This record gives sequence, C-alpha cells and structure tokens, in this order.
Amino acid sequence: MARSMLIISRQAPWAGPSAREALDIVLAGGAFELPLGLLFLDDGVFQLTKAQQAASLEQKDLTANLQALPLFGIDSLFVARRSLAERNLDESSLALPVEILDDAGLSTLINRYDHVITI
Amino acid sequence: MATLHLLSHSPFSDGRFNSCLPLLGDTDALLLAGDATYALTAGTKPATELEQLPEQVALFALEDDVQARALGMLPPRVQLLDYAGFVELTCRYERINSWL
Amino acid sequence: MKFVIALFAPPHSPAARRALRFAEAVLAGGHEIVRLFFYQDGVHSASANVVAAQDELDVAAEWSRFVSANQLDGVVCIAAGLRRGVLDAGEAQRYQRPAANLAAGWELSGLGQLHEAAQQADRLVCFGGQ
Repeated sequence: MARSMLIISRQAPWAGPSAREALDIVLAGGAFELPLGLLFLDDGVFQLTKAQQAASLEQKDLTANLQALPLFGIDSLFVARRSLAERNLDESSLALPVEILDDAGLSTLINRYDHVITI
Repeated sequence: MATLHLLSHSPFSDGRFNSCLPLLGDTDALLLAGDATYALTAGTKPATELEQLPEQVALFALEDDVQARALGMLPPRVQLLDYAGFVELTCRYERINSWL
Repeated sequence: MKFVIALFAPPHSPAARRALRFAEAVLAGGHEIVRLFFYQDGVHSASANVVAAQDELDVAAEWSRFVSANQLDGVVCIAAGLRRGVLDAGEAQRYQRPAANLAAGWELSGLGQLHEAAQQADRLVCFGGQ
C-alpha cells in the first residue's frame, strides 16, 4: 500500500519560491498517483484568495495550477480555520473548494498521513 | 499514531511556535532545536505556554543548542537529547513534522 | 529503520549542520539512509563553490565527504538547483552557464526521487527553513 504524504504550505504566494516549491512536491507526487493531501496554513491561505494579480509583480499566478489539482488526482485540499480567521478571510474569499478544519481537526489530519512536509 | 513536531525558530521573532502549539495532538511530542530553544527561557510567555501543554505531550530539546545558549534553569519537564537520542525519538513517533 | 533525510537550508544555516549530525547518528544507530534529498535553499549545501571562513565549519564539504564515505544516494532537486544556480556539467552546458558547481557525490534529479524514497522509507525527516 502506498505511503501517504501531507504537504503543509505556510508561505504567502509571493514570499519567494516556497508556495511554488510546495506545489511542485504535490504535482510530482500526483504524477505517480500517490495519496497526498495539501494543507494551507498561516500565510499559506493567502495563496487561495480570489482575483490575485500576479502579473503586477511579474510573477506567476499559481491559482490556475491549484485549481487544476483535482485533474492530477489531488482533491484532498485543506485550510486552517484559525489562519483564515486571523486574516479576516472566510470560505467565500477563496478561489477553490477546500475543507476547512479547526485545530483539533488539523491535529487529526496530520496524524492520518505517513509523512509530512511543512514548507 | 503520534507526531513529533520539530521547531527551530525563535518564538520571539517568528510565528511558527504560536502556530505549532495549538496543533499538537494529545500524545504528540515537541522537540526544540536551534533558536526554538530560547522558548525554554524562564519567566517568558513561550516558557509558560510550554508548561501549560497537556502532560502527555512530551517535550524535548537538543542538548547542544541548549548548552550553547546557557539558558539557565530549564522547565523540569524538558528532556535533553543528543543526536543519538534525537534519532531514537524519530523512531518512536510515527511521523516527523519539521516546521521549516 | 529506513530514513529519508531532506535538507532545505544552505550550508551556513544551523539546519544544515543539524541535518548532518542527525544523518551521522542515523547510520551510527544502525539504521539505513535510503536517500538524501536537497531541496529549496538546501541545494547550496551541495555546492562545490562554497568557501567557508577559516574559523567556520565547512558544512558543504562535510556533507560531500559524508555522502562519499558512506556511498549514499545524494540527490539535489534539479529545478531548485537551476533556480539557485547549482548546476552540474550537463546543465551548465545546456543553459550556457560559465560554471558547473555541483559537488562530488551529488546528482541532480527531479522531485520524483523524493517521492520514490519516501515510499520506501519508514521516516522522512526534514531540516531547514527560512
């Protein structure tokens, strides 16, 4: 049975390459059809907000890549409720359908996976 | 079932400490390394928060980091580890979540 | 137990030394290292071009020695390496860059190698962080 991996993405979309490099891990695993989960935590939730204009920073907009994740077999996307609340965001602020978890839910989530990488 | 969380940033200048603590499961463990060991400094908010973690959450710190920083009186619940102990600890918990 | 050890930090970072001492202890404890995977700024820890100060630990050199001495599988993520200017001879030529600086013992490859190793390993331990 394949070992599962949870990737926790904590950085804002343009805080350097971390958002992209976390997503690259997810996409690489998806290519092998591995059981993966992707959790957006802390500033990572900013990757999901609507109407971003990455071109203003001459940066790549990752929203399209994130929206395409289900096509790669990755549909276990999660967001921390606390991180949303701290940033005055809610489900309606987000560009993708995600499961929103509170602290206890996050703790349970992490403990369901064989490996975890937090970027 | 439990997770070993590894923190290596100072709780005073970085948000990882505050993000990590609410996510600790009842039987998870926390290992402080690098500047995260500053959280053990007596009389500070982070030290108080560590003290308030549930009893079953085991607290560890890397000995070389603690020694380097001459932190003074450590909370009684913290167990110091050398690298052999660190490796053993990673074998005891099912997964390791390093807060990179 | 089988370990994968991933490093995300450059050689002058405390995490790079910590990862090395951990890796040494893994082998000393009788365990196996399936693969070392250097990602993000960790690619710099596999650079042959780092010149550590005389009074500082040469962590990049120590990593290279460790990999060679123990005949370990040391992989540097190619995408992360390109982005940060850590290239082998092949990539330096492909992109017409003046130098190949990947240290001996390391190989540039894709993230698939991280996943492949993680599938074989009991434990994945990551070190680093900005």
